[in-house]
Amino acid sequence: MVSINYAFREISCKIVYYGPGLSGKTTNLQYVHDRVPAKSRGDLISLATEADRTLYFDFLPIHVGDIGGFSTKFQLYTVPGQVFYNATRKLVLRGVDGIVFVADSQLAKMDENIESLANMYENLRENDIDVQAMPLVLQYNKRDLPDIASIEELERTINPDGRPYVEASAVKGVGVFDTMKRITKLVLEDTKRKTSGQQPSTPTAIKSSGPSATIDDMLTSSGPVSELRQTAAARSEDGWNTDRHGAGAAAVAVAEPIAASKAGSGPISTSAENSQSSEATIAGAARSTTRSDSAASVVTAQRSTRIRRRQRSLFDRLFGWLFGR
Amino acid sequence: MSSGAYVLYEDQIDRINTALLRLLKKAEAKCAILADKDGHLITRQGFTQSLDTTALAALLAGSFASTREIARLVGEPEFSVLFHQGVRDHIHICLVGERCILAIVFDDRTTIGMVRLYAKETADRLRELTTPAADSRADLSEDFSESAGEKIDSMFKE
Repeated sequence: MVSINYAFREISCKIVYYGPGLSGKTTNLQYVHDRVPAKSRGDLISLATEADRTLYFDFLPIHVGDIGGFSTKFQLYTVPGQVFYNATRKLVLRGVDGIVFVADSQLAKMDENIESLANMYENLRENDIDVQAMPLVLQYNKRDLPDIASIEELERTINPDGRPYVEASAVKGVGVFDTMKRITKLVLEDTKRKTSGQQPSTPTAIKSSGPSATIDDMLTSSGPVSELRQTAAARSEDGWNTDRHGAGAAAVAVAEPIAASKAGSGPISTSAENSQSSEATIAGAARSTTRSDSAASVVTAQRSTRIRRRQRSLFDRLFGWLFGR
Repeated sequence: MSSGAYVLYEDQIDRINTALLRLLKKAEAKCAILADKDGHLITRQGFTQSLDTTALAALLAGSFASTREIARLVGEPEFSVLFHQGVRDHIHICLVGERCILAIVFDDRTTIGMVRLYAKETADRLRELTTPAADSRADLSEDFSESAGEKIDSMFKE
């Protein structure tokens, strides 16, 4: 929550850089730290592991100067991107005033982007933060690398609400300040709106066109996310991807348990071969006939699918490391 | 849902500062820092010139947030007091109401018992002072957004 202190004539806002592991969140802050004059910033504090991976958060205070008679400060935080640090990610999100979602543009990282974004919305909700009213800017990072997704594909899959986005290469400094400008302006506009008692205009979008799917669709495993998962499943060939196929199909089954019960076991049984618990929950969802039963099953199956995705991510990394994929 | 802003007025801060000064005098501590749970510094008193109080406030909030999760894992709603012992200086951290954290830095000229006693007394006094008024509003100037845009553009110039 924005802090307005009349004694010191100060406004202080909290901006969090969110995104999957190694997407460039800390690099963004390092660039800002290096390029902003020393008198306008504090020290960059990193609570990191010995291998320089963010453990809790990075912190960088920026002093923009006097705006409307108030000395305005932004506190920039990053979260640890690695899947298993979710508890700390949730803590860092508390009291957030604006978010930069740093997505990795590489095609191979699309699943991680989707998972991280869904995780962000889930954590915001668990912190009782109004997801739709939250100022958000997406940064499509690593645009200088080969094998990257097109902007259209990124927009379709992770920005269905048409939030502002910036193309960037944080390691070269491209787009970092542009991202800062956009999010800081959005946060201050939002502050002005809140303090004057106006209702927030939701969502904070700059585009009116675009896909009709919303973040709610993403969270209920329908819409673009499940589409992408289905596409990934369709492309699958090896055993690991067969497992992925199962998980993707399970996500669809979760969204429509009754339809799944009519459609038979097909891809669900593929998933079941790999996980008995998943079989139990998804089969449970498929058997549900009443509305309340299916809702409860959806929650259980979503949870199970989420756990499986995390396990898969770890196995994928281990497998990739072993076979140099 | 979170809404609005946490607005603190001048007279509120004056009264908080008075309470902190009284605490420092009675407990013979070096300095006191009041921050909110989001990591924003509210005010500080005592010898804080050599301290990066902005970073300290953020780290205090982070520390308290993680400790709260630890408390939850062991079945406690919250640990209301934290104490870190150093070689020369020590820090005592306690909750102030639902929203704020009070950190007191002290050395061996006083004792943890004295600090705890007066920290509790001060935290009770500050609880009311740090509670935002139901009708608290900040009157930002009409050209605030425009002025912000210009300032931000000049600050983040490539």
